[in-house]
Amino acid sequence: MTASTPKPKVKTDETSHRVEGHITRSTFPLPDVTWPYTAEFWAAADRHELRIPVCDTCGRYRWYPKATCLYCDGEPYSWSEVSGRGTLFSWVVVAHPFLPQFADMVPYVPALVALEEDPAVRVPTRMVDCDPADLTFDMPVTVTFREIAFTGVDGSVTAPLFVPA
Amino acid sequence: MAIEPGEWGYATDFADVNGQVAICGVGDSDMSKASGRTTTEIVGQAVERALADAGLEPTDIDGLMYSPMPEQFGVAAFHEYFGTSHDIWESKRGGGTVGAATAPYHAAEALRDGRATYVLNTFGVAWATQRGEMTGGPGEAHAQDLFKQNLEIPLGWFPQPVYFATIARRHMHDFGTTEEQLGAIAVACRRHANLNPEAVMHEKPLSMERYLASPKFVDPFRKEDCCLISDGGGAYIMTTPERAADAPKRPAIVAGLGMGNAYTGTHWAQQPAFTSTPSVFSAPAAFSMAGLTPADVDLFTCYDPFTIVTLMQIEDSGFCEKGAGGEFVAGDTLHYDSGKLAHNTHGGMLSHAYVLGISHVVEVVRQLRGEAAAQVADCEVGVYGGYTGPQGSTLVLTKG
Repeated sequence: MTASTPKPKVKTDETSHRVEGHITRSTFPLPDVTWPYTAEFWAAADRHELRIPVCDTCGRYRWYPKATCLYCDGEPYSWSEVSGRGTLFSWVVVAHPFLPQFADMVPYVPALVALEEDPAVRVPTRMVDCDPADLTFDMPVTVTFREIAFTGVDGSVTAPLFVPA
Repeated sequence: MAIEPGEWGYATDFADVNGQVAICGVGDSDMSKASGRTTTEIVGQAVERALADAGLEPTDIDGLMYSPMPEQFGVAAFHEYFGTSHDIWESKRGGGTVGAATAPYHAAEALRDGRATYVLNTFGVAWATQRGEMTGGPGEAHAQDLFKQNLEIPLGWFPQPVYFATIARRHMHDFGTTEEQLGAIAVACRRHANLNPEAVMHEKPLSMERYLASPKFVDPFRKEDCCLISDGGGAYIMTTPERAADAPKRPAIVAGLGMGNAYTGTHWAQQPAFTSTPSVFSAPAAFSMAGLTPADVDLFTCYDPFTIVTLMQIEDSGFCEKGAGGEFVAGDTLHYDSGKLAHNTHGGMLSHAYVLGISHVVEVVRQLRGEAAAQVADCEVGVYGGYTGPQGSTLVLTKG
């Protein structure tokens, strides 16, 4: 477990987690790796580590990493490395690019993976290196770190994708 | 707020307003695909029709409710549209989605303490026209959420058809729900739209064979499992039952209402009860206030962005056991003439128009009056289930 995370320097109310109007960030839909709430998640992925925040007060995973713990109202939290093993909670096979930036991705398999350490933590991800027809509920899966990039968007980011274990 | 693991929501604590509010006028705009109309033009047309329906003038409206979403019809827009300038009480706790069910709660307070005598609730969108400018179309409201931008969208988990296809697949696994059962919802709504000249899909029939032959563009969803994207809006006018007795049309009485809330908001991936809606919390509260049970209901309209959301709301509102929704909706159960549970008899968002629930309440009122296009025989109790994800709401209306 790393040292306690400094409190993100943004307001902690719900509205501060939103932007208004059309999305203008040029790197969208890549993550903004500088956004304080998730910067450590992406920095860890870049080191090929899957890290999930743990509440310093009650010890439960805090996912997503909001400013206040749902279970104890505690605020400080620390990013903790997890095994990268889990089970396939649910998935879909997308044949239609809902964003123009997804055009080169179709077909793709967005999925939710329940972590081995705590199945209540579901990581949004994409299943890769598999035939969607072979996927089954609650099958064991494991993390793999891959570069993700999007049509018309400069750059790439290392992301935690999953494969059948 | 500290909760136990597994707890996922709660009902808003509402005082009893049974019998305090009547809906005395309803109207909706023309419903269409991209039309070039503005939201204000759309809502203004719906309001004109609701006023005519209620036998009222614009100056009679002294209360106005709408939603906090962009471009909604506030007091300034009302005055500009109708050329009026009188005092109007206003509240943003109305509009479509969940607010279309709970606006009467806040109207009841305003009617009780004399702040208003006739309260208008409106909602409208021009999303078919605006779709090209929006990030992921109606997904834009989700793309604006920075947790989604940074933890969901980069992985492709976006937008709504993907969220709800993921939920549908898990529902199929947990409860044995089938594609044909989801299809029964789409087919029933389309049949109602075919009977309703105001529905966008009025001319387009949908058989189960055709549904099953349609490609799965977000497997397990076909496009027929997903709502339309439309230009349109609606309005209804609330007053006391005493005043409504003098209205030209028979009023509908607000018998019960409720609001349910999910702690995880629109972060569906993290909702502990993954295949449930907050109707679990709102429906018992609303039925208790009304002194009625789901078995008393003749018509159930609900916010239906996807077939699975209808299925979950039917379960969560108590029309059948949790998990039995698939078997319940199979066959003709939801058809207006089945004598079972008539559902979205105007066509719903799947086949009438995606106007976010406001037309569902308009339809319930028309059904209770006996003037709907696909009229349910002896319709005396009609329910609207609202949904946003973070919230679910229930409105029980009875024949006045």
